Amino acid sequence: MRPAIRTALVWSLVSVAATATAWAHHSFAAAFDMNKPVTVQGTIVQVRLENPHSWFFLDVKDASGKVERWAFEAGTPSGMVRNGFKPGVIKKGVEVTIKGFHAKDPTQNVGMLRELVMADGTVYGMFGSQQGPSAQ
Amino acid sequence: MKPRLIGLFLVAAITIALARFAPSVRTQTRPGAQPENPTAPASPKPQVEVGGSAPHMSDGHPDLSGVWWGGSDIGAARGRGARGGGRGGARGGTPPATFMSLYKPEAAAKAKTLGDKDDPTLRCVPTAFGTLNVSLWDVGAVGQIVATPKMVVMLTETYHGFRLIPTDGRPHRDDQPPVYRGDSVGRWDRDVFVVDTKNFSDNTWMSAEGRVSPHSDQLHIVERYRRVDANTLEIEATVEDPEVLTGPWTVPKQTLVLAPFDRILSLNCSGIETQALMDAAAKQTGK
Repeated sequence: MRPAIRTALVWSLVSVAATATAWAHHSFAAAFDMNKPVTVQGTIVQVRLENPHSWFFLDVKDASGKVERWAFEAGTPSGMVRNGFKPGVIKKGVEVTIKGFHAKDPTQNVGMLRELVMADGTVYGMFGSQQGPSAQ
Repeated sequence: MKPRLIGLFLVAAITIALARFAPSVRTQTRPGAQPENPTAPASPKPQVEVGGSAPHMSDGHPDLSGVWWGGSDIGAARGRGARGGGRGGARGGTPPATFMSLYKPEAAAKAKTLGDKDDPTLRCVPTAFGTLNVSLWDVGAVGQIVATPKMVVMLTETYHGFRLIPTDGRPHRDDQPPVYRGDSVGRWDRDVFVVDTKNFSDNTWMSAEGRVSPHSDQLHIVERYRRVDANTLEIEATVEDPEVLTGPWTVPKQTLVLAPFDRILSLNCSGIETQALMDAAAKQTGK
């Protein structure tokens, strides 16, 4: 990717995060490093559609077979549910790929969820699928 | 007349006729209304007319009942929250005072030391007012009103919050300890429902203008709710706190719309991971 395009992409994502901040209970920019994108593939261990923000926990296996637990913070559950993210859509044991940004604390396996991709290619965003009544 | 011209004329006539009669066709349902679960029996939907007048209760006062939001959820494609800022209290081109600008020096100094990690909402503690200047919503962007002639109940989705507001003119109760959301009483001023709230505890936030913002136990909020029509609720509010503010803060008028569903969700709150995340980030950045 050309540097200019990459820079524009990063800034657009930062802008999205800043917009989310205006509605969120805390600043995503304060907790996550928007210059440190992270992508992990693993097995869902737990999905918590709870306030103040939802969380996705998954086990990720590295090349040596070692399993590490990751946690990704997403949006508020109310909007996620009304946007099509019904409870049970993503169940324990499901293989997913999550793209996001790493927490500012580099020692934690924690990130901000930007995109969750199911094995069949279905993509969910931070605030759900954007297909519910909220998205109209 | 040539066939082509006749065709154009017919199309124009049909278009005008549809435009003329369309409102009468869609008077019983809200646009976008849909069952919460397509496989379950449809819940009773608000029986309101699009653009119709405000419904009334049996005692003749406007019925404020309904789920009220800004038109969409947080993060949705059209997520914009309530339309606010129509009238900030100031006239003649002077920008309305912000909540933070009214802080006394000591309060302003304290506010500067506080950041996101200190936000009580991370620990599921509600605000005294609302993160988007709408007390009905508290934290979040949707709330529900269940109104009866004797009592108005305001429910918030995010933290299981509620306010029970008697409307019979009784005074504030004297057996209520100070609480996060205060004690409310209501009265009708013609078609406006006036809510007076005080007896707040001082260990949470106003969250005025979306910022973490401390207040004292002298906080006093007066809200004025007016259901403009079937689908629109306007809210004006004034906030006083002689301990921390130099004068009353006039909240920009908020305009909410009726949501296309008739009940809010029941949701848990457990801020364990979020609070830990913010604490860790604070250590990294020194803030």
